[in-house]
Amino acid sequence: MNKKSGKIKYINSLLNTKAISCKELTLNFLNSINSLNDKLNAYVLITEDCALKTAKIVDHKISKGEKISLLEGIPMTLKDNISTKDIATTCCSKMLKNYIPIYNATVWDLLLKENAVLLGKTNMDEFAMGSSCQTSVFSGALNPYNVDYVAGGSSGGAACAVASGTAVYGLGSDTGGSIRQPASFCGVVGLKPTYGAVSRYGLIAYASSFDQIGPIAGSVEDTAIIYDFILKKDFKDSTSIGGKNNPTLNLLNKDIKGMKIGIIKELIEPLNEENKKAIDNVIDVYKYLGAEIIYLNLPIIKYALPIYYILACAEASSNLGRYDGIRYGYKTKEYNNKNEMILKTRSEGFGFEVKKRILLGTYVLSAGYYDAYYKKAQDLRNAIIKGFNETFNKCDIILSSTAPTTAFKNNFCNEHPIEAYKNDICTVPINIAGLPAVSLPCGFDKNGLPIGAQLIGNHFCENKILNAAYWLEQQLSLEFLSMGAQI
Amino acid sequence: MVSNEETKKIANLAKLYISDSETEILTKELNNIISFANEINEVEMKTETFANANSLENVLRKDEIKKSFDRELILKNANEQENGFFVLRYRT
Repeated sequence: MNKKSGKIKYINSLLNTKAISCKELTLNFLNSINSLNDKLNAYVLITEDCALKTAKIVDHKISKGEKISLLEGIPMTLKDNISTKDIATTCCSKMLKNYIPIYNATVWDLLLKENAVLLGKTNMDEFAMGSSCQTSVFSGALNPYNVDYVAGGSSGGAACAVASGTAVYGLGSDTGGSIRQPASFCGVVGLKPTYGAVSRYGLIAYASSFDQIGPIAGSVEDTAIIYDFILKKDFKDSTSIGGKNNPTLNLLNKDIKGMKIGIIKELIEPLNEENKKAIDNVIDVYKYLGAEIIYLNLPIIKYALPIYYILACAEASSNLGRYDGIRYGYKTKEYNNKNEMILKTRSEGFGFEVKKRILLGTYVLSAGYYDAYYKKAQDLRNAIIKGFNETFNKCDIILSSTAPTTAFKNNFCNEHPIEAYKNDICTVPINIAGLPAVSLPCGFDKNGLPIGAQLIGNHFCENKILNAAYWLEQQLSLEFLSMGAQI
Repeated sequence: MVSNEETKKIANLAKLYISDSETEILTKELNNIISFANEINEVEMKTETFANANSLENVLRKDEIKKSFDRELILKNANEQENGFFVLRYRT
């Protein structure tokens, strides 16, 4: 199986020519999950019945001689903060361990109608707060390249599932890098779309002005297929705009000669030696392909991390105010009055990292600190947006590494919380400005762990970054893990 | 710097109960994050209006009555319900 050409079109042709039935395909993936999940912990719920039910519908269509569309019958996953009707959606938190949504997230509604085969819900940091997947109440997903290392986070399960060949693709969510960083750590492709491109309806909120759903897949082509499909305006999400600049798939092949690729000093400086070397190699590839490299500065990026943690935690403290044990979710057993019930419910239901972020958010929003932190951070957010706008007058896309390092060792984030926050430096500025960015593998470090390159575009320029990503992927032609379902 | 007492006060505002030992750790970690957040005070800037990521405009729709979820469904995830209502029982 040639990974760089993508799997979705290939599987689609196998299904349409009856070389394999959707049931066989699905069982193949379910078996791979059964044999690998104990070790990797990518899935927190395996939805076998749902998967086989859809497979049956697809096989019935094929047997009647109907042609099926690209995403029909393709085995996939959803991150466990994307609401699935009648299927548990826990956010990997004790708070929502028994929560069964009564409605579907819009993205899942779209895919379900397309007969996407849902294999299961994937592991994540609790309420998407973390960059290792290890704040999950089910404990974290591990790196398929080496289980002494994390899969990354927060969408660690989704990236691990694709990298280990136990799913063709997955949907994750990205608030400060949660799609791109695990994609980078696991050697797969992850796209964080422009804020507003994909509906957030049914995505359990962490920080609403940053959150965005996007695909994680094994190739740029597959990523483009999924993105084009979920790119839709949704009246249930008032911030949704849908596709302004249209589909990406038909432009992947477009010549990138003359494309202006910006290198921002502040996004390259934090990289360690090996990541920097890998990005230098990427720069050479783009020069070879005829792109023009432009070196730029954007000093305001230095403040992106504090801005992000202030604003995201402020929004989280408000969003997570809804968990009171009354309407849904965990409820404490013993209490004497209403206040005590709510206090105990929240204290027992949330994990340490979530409590910490709620406290920080409450602090920066409280009287006396609001202007110094929240308001100031909002003003600086404006300055970052402006900075990127000006940058995109000088270049078409921006290239950086997705993270300064490769995957963390298993206990790193617990032992070094601030260092772990700081490792988000290459991804958070993009969420602050609401821009699209894709992470794709561009090499391996001396331990054999994948390194991710990040391409950043202006609002609704997913077509440009995926176009550039496609050429890079073709040119690098890297070799990846071969495990999981063989098709 | 945040004191243990302040951490407890904030926790109370956030409707979180934290034990004494938890307070110690959280105060320490909060102070670490706050000192790192203080970096933004290095920047002097004139006040600007609030940003939102794309300068999006509000999307408005007609205020029409539409069918929503059935009451039964809404109550499905409640820990306790009675006669179509959420129940919050006081135990003494």
